[in-house]
Amino acid sequence: MTGADTAASRGLANCHTCCKLVPVDEHECPRCGSAVHLRSTDSLQRTVALLITASILFIPANIYPIMITEALGTEDISTIIGGVVLLVKLGSIPVALVIFIASVIVPLAKLAAMYYLVWSVANEPHRGHRQRTKLYLTAEFIGKWSMVDVFVVAILVALVHLGGLIVIQPGIAAYSFAGVVLVTMIAAENFDPRLMWDQLDKNNDSDT
Amino acid sequence: MEKLVACHGCDLLVDVSELEHGARAYCPRCGHFLTRYRHDMMSRVLAFTIAAIILLVVSLNYPFLSFAASGLESVMTLRAAPGALLDYGMTTLAIMVAAFIILIPACILLLLLVISLSVLSGSPNPWLRASTKLVFELETWAMVEVFIIGVIVSLVKIAAMATVVLGIAFWSYAAFTICFTLAMVTLDRYQCWEMIEALETPKSAEATP
Repeated sequence: MTGADTAASRGLANCHTCCKLVPVDEHECPRCGSAVHLRSTDSLQRTVALLITASILFIPANIYPIMITEALGTEDISTIIGGVVLLVKLGSIPVALVIFIASVIVPLAKLAAMYYLVWSVANEPHRGHRQRTKLYLTAEFIGKWSMVDVFVVAILVALVHLGGLIVIQPGIAAYSFAGVVLVTMIAAENFDPRLMWDQLDKNNDSDT
Repeated sequence: MEKLVACHGCDLLVDVSELEHGARAYCPRCGHFLTRYRHDMMSRVLAFTIAAIILLVVSLNYPFLSFAASGLESVMTLRAAPGALLDYGMTTLAIMVAAFIILIPACILLLLLVISLSVLSGSPNPWLRASTKLVFELETWAMVEVFIIGVIVSLVKIAAMATVVLGIAFWSYAAFTICFTLAMVTLDRYQCWEMIEALETPKSAEATP
């Protein structure tokens, strides 16, 4: 295999906003005015920092209540997992599954996938570039679906205000969970999948 | 003439000059989607945008959900929802909901209207590039489709507690979600910028012999 014909090998940087190929010594895209870099600077460091932040936020998001319901003097506190259990008890298995996947599986899977991708760039495995790019695109796409639970709380709070009879309030977990989702979204945006392919290109160049 | 695109996934250069109407290009190395060419792309974007704007206006002005329990009734409109959250002192939640489901999508739609009208009428305007840049920057932060799923989950949760009736705004917001998503999917990043560049350069290009 010969070295691939990449933009970087021709001394061109790909503008992330408008797809224009810009010579690397220019710092601003002539078409859309965005800042242009050959590769995002400190991509890995920023991604790891944001991933750690999200991982820490994930703890309060699951320990503290996400929603507090006060109905006729009784107070009902529910966590994310508690909400899923309640839905199962109500017999809404499909909806319980949606919440379980969106609030538990997706954030954990996304964090795990992003940690693995960062690790893979640092440790240079020689295979699976295509699969890892797919993994990255999937992780980037599914991220915002975790916001479902936060929207549910917001809708219930806004809808249910029956003159003090029933009051629903968001708990601390609603904010920390929204934090987890937003921070992992920014982490995925900061990760540059081209770093994985650069190693392949570098190895091929040294072979020839 | 060769038209090169660098793959966002792996940086490979791919020639996309010979795409037929409706054809998609994928990166041969990593499989990442590159671009889709449609000669009538902007007309499609304009159509979806206008439909989405009308549906959003309807959604904001009619009852979204109404809720009845123990003889009391409350009606929620989409417009009033962030305000209700503010009344309870939940500023962060109010800002997030307002931004992700109303303000950012509305902003994107107005910008799309400016962009598509400007490109279709062949008249460049000074904000065209800035508007297009902003659309692509805001794209990630519109969560209308996630919100619709959130509404459905809320309905199931609350059904045990009270009677909930879906309003006109719920249905129009659902339709809005479809139109908005189609508008965003139809707007191809690479083709859009090529059109804008073609719109703004022909005079100077023809002037040079």
